[in-house]
Amino acid sequence: MLGNLNIRVIFEYFPALWQGFLNTLMMSGLGFAGAMILGIIACALTIQPLRWLRAPAVAYVDVIRATPLLAQLYFLYFGLPRLGILLPEILIGIVALALNSGAYVAEIIRSGILAVPRGQFEASMSSGLTYLQRMRFIILPQAIRPTVSPLIGQAIVLVKDSSLLSLISVVELARVGQQIALDRFMPVEGLAATAAGFLIIYYMLKALAALWSRFNRLPGQA
Amino acid sequence: MTGNFKTFVLSALFVALAGTTTATTNAQAGTLDDILARGELRVAVQTQGPPYSFMDKNGERTGSAIQLTELMAKEMGVKVTYLDFDWDGLIPALMSGKADILAADMTATLTRATKVAFTKPWIHVGAVGFTTQGSDFKSLEDCKKPGTTIAVILGSTAEKSVPTFFPDGEMKSFKGGGTVVLDAVASGQAQCGVNDNTAVSAQILNYPENTFNVFPEMLTSEPLAYAVRYDSQDLLIWANLFLDTVQGDGRLKANLDYWVNSAKWQADH
Repeated sequence: MLGNLNIRVIFEYFPALWQGFLNTLMMSGLGFAGAMILGIIACALTIQPLRWLRAPAVAYVDVIRATPLLAQLYFLYFGLPRLGILLPEILIGIVALALNSGAYVAEIIRSGILAVPRGQFEASMSSGLTYLQRMRFIILPQAIRPTVSPLIGQAIVLVKDSSLLSLISVVELARVGQQIALDRFMPVEGLAATAAGFLIIYYMLKALAALWSRFNRLPGQA
Repeated sequence: MTGNFKTFVLSALFVALAGTTTATTNAQAGTLDDILARGELRVAVQTQGPPYSFMDKNGERTGSAIQLTELMAKEMGVKVTYLDFDWDGLIPALMSGKADILAADMTATLTRATKVAFTKPWIHVGAVGFTTQGSDFKSLEDCKKPGTTIAVILGSTAEKSVPTFFPDGEMKSFKGGGTVVLDAVASGQAQCGVNDNTAVSAQILNYPENTFNVFPEMLTSEPLAYAVRYDSQDLLIWANLFLDTVQGDGRLKANLDYWVNSAKWQADH
């Protein structure tokens, strides 16, 4: 059955595929960096006690998680210009990915913090540490470990979501695949090449996660 | 580590195999026989907007290509089932046997004809350029200025002709129906747009008056035709005779006069 796959065409489009691969990596990387920043800020705001600071962060997380990324993308791309804000599509793509994933990252980090046993909060409080000290020295170091795995998972989701950017004319892996399908009417070759690209990124992220857990092994753990 | 590599190779194989199975064509002798036996003509369409194929005020699929296809099915004595695809899914849908015939505002190009068989054209259209009213682009020549962003539909004939007509322009391809190109220009994401004259003149009616400035120059002349698979010779011959017949008895002209050459359809749909 593999005889149906025209490898020659995939090689012919290799420069375009490589460019698409790099663009997907770049946009996903920047998008995830933005998502981490947004997520940490949103999470910090949701768990601190002041209500007027908490409300906008909770609203952000709710609104983003309740709407599809495609709708958010179209809102930023076709909606913002009506408000007089015209940004290049690559930037819109990165912002959309960061905004979208940021909400999920906020929830992942929050769940990590909530997983720290209540006694740790109480013990650190009775030691006379301030709020920031408690977070910095006691809570966060314990909260980070359980979040790493879901964060890598979220990064994988974000990489795949980045294929939606092809809809606003950004040239990335999925778009190059579409181009092969359209130029040569070879959807199989185009989609297989795209899938292979995403698979490579997936394995890179997986290797990264394995590396992290190797260097941050708990004493006594296998 | 070798275990990891093995899983990688296996997943790569899986991806490749999953791809090939979907593309397997079910070659069948006598597509027309199949259609008659089934009592159903399966038509691959796109919802690209007026005047060819769109959802009207009542939420019903209609348009020039749709009405012509209804007529075709009526003459054939079968009912129509529409399969709605994105533009780039139309030809694969036909090739994979999901649809019997492709009815869209598709230009019969030599490249596409290497994969599917086109019938005789039922209309000739041409590509036109447009921009927003009041923009700095007063003529088609202005759109040829270096660095001008030009919106086209992904996989359209405009995508091939724009680099020729606007060598210094920067082309942006959008996936979806024709209106996405108008949206891109209206929102300022592209400075000029290029699409078929008939599609543009019908679709700008959806926008507030004087949103767009359509330039009169025709960049190309393109035949629009139905497409079938090359192994559906019987259907191809029948469809050509159908087009000859409706051309001869005036029914094609009535269709085009209503949908394409005027805005009469606007009152009813």
